[in-house]
Amino acid sequence: MQTVTKTAAKDKNEARLELGEVAFDIRNLDLYYGNFHALKNINVKIPARQVTAFIGPSGCGKSTLLRCFNRMNDLIEDVRITGEIHMAGREIHGSDVDVVRLRTEVGMVFQHPNPFPMSIYDNVAYGLRCQGVKNRQTLDAVVENSLKKAALWDEAKDILDRNALKLSGGQQQRLCIARAIALEPQVILMDEPTSALDPIATMKIEELMNDLKKDYTIVIVTHSMQQAARISDRTAFFLLGEVIEFDDTVTMFNKPSDARTESYITGRFG
Amino acid sequence: MNNRRRLYEGTTKGMTIGATGIAVAVLLIVLIYVFRQGIGLLSLDLIRGNYWSENINIAFEEPAAKEFKKPADLPKDAYFSKKFGFALADREDPRGADLMTVVYIDPDSPLHTAYSTTAGATQGKHVAIHEEASIQRIQYLNTDGDKKTAGPARRMFSKDTIKALDESATELVLMYYQTEGGGIWGSIIATLILIGVTLVIVLPVGVAAAIYLNEVAGKNKLTAAIRSSIEMLSGVPSIIFGLMGMAMLFPVTQLFGANGPSILLGALTLAVVLLPVVIRQTEEALLVVPNGLRMGSLALGATQTQTIFRVVLPNALPGILTAALLSISRVIGESAALIYTMSTIISDSPSLLQPATSLAVQIWAITSAEQPNFELASAISILILAMVLVLNITVKIISVRLNRRWSA
Repeated sequence: MQTVTKTAAKDKNEARLELGEVAFDIRNLDLYYGNFHALKNINVKIPARQVTAFIGPSGCGKSTLLRCFNRMNDLIEDVRITGEIHMAGREIHGSDVDVVRLRTEVGMVFQHPNPFPMSIYDNVAYGLRCQGVKNRQTLDAVVENSLKKAALWDEAKDILDRNALKLSGGQQQRLCIARAIALEPQVILMDEPTSALDPIATMKIEELMNDLKKDYTIVIVTHSMQQAARISDRTAFFLLGEVIEFDDTVTMFNKPSDARTESYITGRFG
Repeated sequence: MNNRRRLYEGTTKGMTIGATGIAVAVLLIVLIYVFRQGIGLLSLDLIRGNYWSENINIAFEEPAAKEFKKPADLPKDAYFSKKFGFALADREDPRGADLMTVVYIDPDSPLHTAYSTTAGATQGKHVAIHEEASIQRIQYLNTDGDKKTAGPARRMFSKDTIKALDESATELVLMYYQTEGGGIWGSIIATLILIGVTLVIVLPVGVAAAIYLNEVAGKNKLTAAIRSSIEMLSGVPSIIFGLMGMAMLFPVTQLFGANGPSILLGALTLAVVLLPVVIRQTEEALLVVPNGLRMGSLALGATQTQTIFRVVLPNALPGILTAALLSISRVIGESAALIYTMSTIISDSPSLLQPATSLAVQIWAITSAEQPNFELASAISILILAMVLVLNITVKIISVRLNRRWSA
């Protein structure tokens, strides 16, 4: 199953990237929106096959850094980036990097569920079809496997041809996760994936993340410190474009080494 | 509230009510005028009929006079020929000309044995003279064996013609038979060709340009300048486009073999007129597509082209359809730009490279003729109003559906 997906999804000459212990090695990263210095000298190593949470007050740059990992910042005008992000031995901003391929390696789930207004099946198959996969059996297998991994198969297996917009918000978000998983990425980026969902849907997504971290590196931006504490292995605290502290989640929430981190996680600001 | 404020309140409200009343009244007056003038003429014959009358000479296989009985249910103004078994009456054609028309034909009448003597493909073929056919001239042999002529061509109408026939005719020699004119079938076909060709030209160009401006081009001063010049284009009076089309697009149609005004030239000109409309409408349709869908698609490793064709365009389709329908109603309603480019010559068998009139221009042509025919103009107006109404309702339905889709 897995091998079928891999060979189908990626170019046959290029094997799936193998991450070592470190998924993203960020070195001296600065990012400017026009004149605004949004990220200041970031030096962080994001571990592979773990959940890393980015926390911090609004506008502190955590989503901006997340969007660097799949180069979604390319779509924003007036963005200037210096420094390096290494992934599996490549600098991802390098001119030899195929952005389209990078985005199949690094999937993304957005704050607001954004399924395409097409059938559930077509949503999950979308990424593969864009890669040129047409074989119905391959697609069927990938759709089933991805929906199973996203814990949506039981609810969706009988309504695969129904419009995805008819699903509930939580189901839509799991569909978006399934859609990303279908490409067999290394990394799944999640930008506040539960902030538009109710508590029960949030719980399901959190359970799902716990299952997925065995196979995938997950980086999640969240505004909920409880969520970061519940689901992540590592946490980075951002403030005004800087990473103030990056540590084991348990250490961070029990014995933060920086006074500003302590103020934030105890709710004194933010 | 004191009295002054109350008075002020009352007058302002009254003024708004009055203004609305004027608007509604104007609309009603237009509709009532057009309907009263035109509804009487509106019929399938008008729609299916040719504008120009066709003249055919006919002779008869059994031309001899017989004995016929006058039927009881003839119209009051009809005159019956006892020798040849048909009745004539004076009528007016849709253009207002006096006609002598056949209102009744006996089953055994010589008129049923008519054949065409006009040179051409139909020569010698049987001609079915039906009721309401118009006769210009009848030639007959009198008792002395001389050829005599009767009919409107000799200033003899139904009464005198029948009198002359029944007094002295022994045999019918010739009839100059005129088909009914004043129809609009040719202009309907020309309008349909015009709509089709215009859309084929303007939609691909307009949609592609809108895609470029909204999806591909960066948001810089150049695109802003292009966008505002396109918007400015939509404010240019269409007669200027007509002049431009005549001067600059005519050489293009020459390449296809046109040697004067033609439907193709009209379509090219209208395509230029409609380009800003289509670009604007399509851009608005593209703007409605949520940005999250583009992001979602790109984040799944789709290229920009794939994103546009698989996600953005399918979701903008209702808006693009609206643009097409609005274009159609503009084509139906446009006249100024077509007067120079398609001519005002009404054609009964329009073709792409020949001059013809659209329905709107036919109105212009028949009302600026020597004998303006307001009834026919109004009948065409009713048709145009009905088409535009149907198109507008369709646009409304589509946009309501579109809004419901995204608010769900």
